[in-house]
Amino acid sequence: MLQYLVILLDDTSVAYCHADNPLKKRNLIPVETLKKGIIFGMKQNLMIQYVFPDYELPKEYVDVLESIDNIKIYPINHKSHVLIEEDNVSDVEVADFIPEKVESKNLVLRLKFSEILAKKDEISKLFGNDFRLNICITDVEKFTDKDIIKYQELLKYWNAILLNLYKESKTPQINILTDRMLLDKMHNCDAGVNNITLAPNGKFYLCPAFYYDEKTTVFNQLNHHKPSSDNSVGDLENGLNIPNPELLKLDHAPLCRNCDAYQCRRCIWLNRKLTWDNNTPSHQQCIMSHIERNASRDLLNKIREIGEFMPEIDIKEISYLDPFDVRKEF
Amino acid sequence: MLKIKDNQDAWQSGMAKNITFIVTKDCQLACKYCYLVGKNVKERMSFDVAKTFIDYVLDHETDPDFAYESVVWDFIGGEPFLEIGLIDKICDYIKTELFRRNHHWFNSYRFSFSTNGINYHEKAVQDFIKKNRNHISIGITIDGTEKKHDLNRVYKITEKGSYKDVVKNIPLWLEQFPGGGTKVTISSADIPYIKESVLHLYSLGIHEVNINVVFEDVWQEGDDLRFEEQLMQLADSIIDGGFYQDYACSFFSEHIGKPMDPKHDNQNWCGAGKMLSVDAAGNLYPCTRFAQYSLRDKEAWIIGNIKDGIDKNRLRPFLTLDRTTQSPQKCIECEVASGCAWCQGENFDAAQTHTVFERATAICKMHKARVRANNYYWNKLYRKLELEDLREQYEANKREVKPEIC
Repeated sequence: MLQYLVILLDDTSVAYCHADNPLKKRNLIPVETLKKGIIFGMKQNLMIQYVFPDYELPKEYVDVLESIDNIKIYPINHKSHVLIEEDNVSDVEVADFIPEKVESKNLVLRLKFSEILAKKDEISKLFGNDFRLNICITDVEKFTDKDIIKYQELLKYWNAILLNLYKESKTPQINILTDRMLLDKMHNCDAGVNNITLAPNGKFYLCPAFYYDEKTTVFNQLNHHKPSSDNSVGDLENGLNIPNPELLKLDHAPLCRNCDAYQCRRCIWLNRKLTWDNNTPSHQQCIMSHIERNASRDLLNKIREIGEFMPEIDIKEISYLDPFDVRKEF
Repeated sequence: MLKIKDNQDAWQSGMAKNITFIVTKDCQLACKYCYLVGKNVKERMSFDVAKTFIDYVLDHETDPDFAYESVVWDFIGGEPFLEIGLIDKICDYIKTELFRRNHHWFNSYRFSFSTNGINYHEKAVQDFIKKNRNHISIGITIDGTEKKHDLNRVYKITEKGSYKDVVKNIPLWLEQFPGGGTKVTISSADIPYIKESVLHLYSLGIHEVNINVVFEDVWQEGDDLRFEEQLMQLADSIIDGGFYQDYACSFFSEHIGKPMDPKHDNQNWCGAGKMLSVDAAGNLYPCTRFAQYSLRDKEAWIIGNIKDGIDKNRLRPFLTLDRTTQSPQKCIECEVASGCAWCQGENFDAAQTHTVFERATAICKMHKARVRANNYYWNKLYRKLELEDLREQYEANKREVKPEIC
């Protein structure tokens, strides 16, 4: 069921997930389109998430933006452009470098895998603060089996730091390590299922990455029928029209519905890019998510040596990193 | 005359890797139901492409994708025998390399062909058959009576029927392959000729007729009832004429028309993804049906090429497919689901999105009609056998046709 409407306020709105935003030319959403988008969200009972660019929006937009309860996703160091409510715990700052100061309660840190390895200590300094850290690896497709040990060792290293924080009675939230400890079912991106994106052109997309691809004609060969760069799934005039919507859902993903790497993003954009199917994860995504899952299991066990912690959560020991390798056992 | 030995040792049924060379996209015919929409005379495989591909396959002997006890080297077109010189060279190279590498497929391989039969008698084809007689299977496609065959299977340009040129080679083929079966395809216009065509094929000495309706959405209002009527007439003829003892027609099977358990009967019908195809450009496909010349509305699903190998990520959707995930609810709940087939390539081509998880259901009414006629067939046959006290004898000796699962 749809719960969120993501509105890209500009073509250059900040990328906040796996896909980089290749669009460099400003293209602000027309204010009438914005108003219609908000009305759409209100009528569908959707929480609106605005995604901001790195420049200040014209004054006439401010009242429109604030005409409805919302969550703001914005580039770090540009808070002044965004009119943040000081007590809003849901707003999200996005950085593609390690920031010195974080002002919101949520930080998305977007880095390449090699950058994360190289800056593991700097990143770990963000752990003990009063915000949730979402680490987003932006080159998942380049992850190889040779990187497995590197990633396992990195998470082991961070686990030791996190354990000390727990010993200090802190409750750090690092998506790739602590989310799985709290989850008893899949908690994924669910683009097209629980959230949908409205682009400045007034059309809906499964997520911003599909809009970027349309604008740059990536995946030209993968569109519905005859080659076309149209990735949209409806527009404000005619409403949503997601073809094969069931094929975005967990119960139609044979690998994922049997999986317990509950913290996995299950990024359908990456799925489509790497496996050519929206609902089939790549080897890379599965491997990385299982390394994280296993590290979460280790962390959970270590925390339980200190005292009782999430007794209802059970993360079993498993012998594989890619569920594809054991698919016949499902 | 040469008899082709039925070398079962070389053929580990069900445990074989199927590897297909699309040696040419050319054919003498332009069959009206042919799904190959992009046939052409230009795309002919070179030996270098074939050799590089064979080297890639044999270099990966221990890879799970190739860890099968046996292998079927399949040659298709267009019409594969148009390239018999190339095929001969490819097969010689395969045999030499299997021996040189001491590969576990050395005595467990088969060369397989599906041909229109037009140049079956030619010296080059016959020499090839003799040379590889212990490791070869060939199916000739003949659609039935001259009228039915020539309705669809016509020469390109002249549109002349090909029946006479094919039927003259049937005796030679049956002498070399006594158990040879033929594959018959039924489209809407063919329905009135089903009964007479199957009986005609029996009269030619073909004991096994594998027959199926096309998966494409070509069916007209009332086709299902006409189809059912034809099959019932065919059932009467087979039973009253006693053909059921020595002949088989895949339309009639005791295993079809039953509900299927969503959990225990959940395997995919199609072998796409477990098979591997290569074309003249050296591109690799999960099945030939995903090559561009087979697709009407979609771009080819290329899973790699002979230089870089297989991108395994692009195989994952195929290898995780199951029946219920790709089926609409009406198919999952269908009371007569068993035996209802699908083609993954047609599913992909007809799908609303770029997916192999959307099952095309254009044959739904035709399958149900087949099930009704099939029930009639078995009820009638078993009653007859019981009245003649021959049922046990029949059960012990009955000939079964396995469903065509690619």
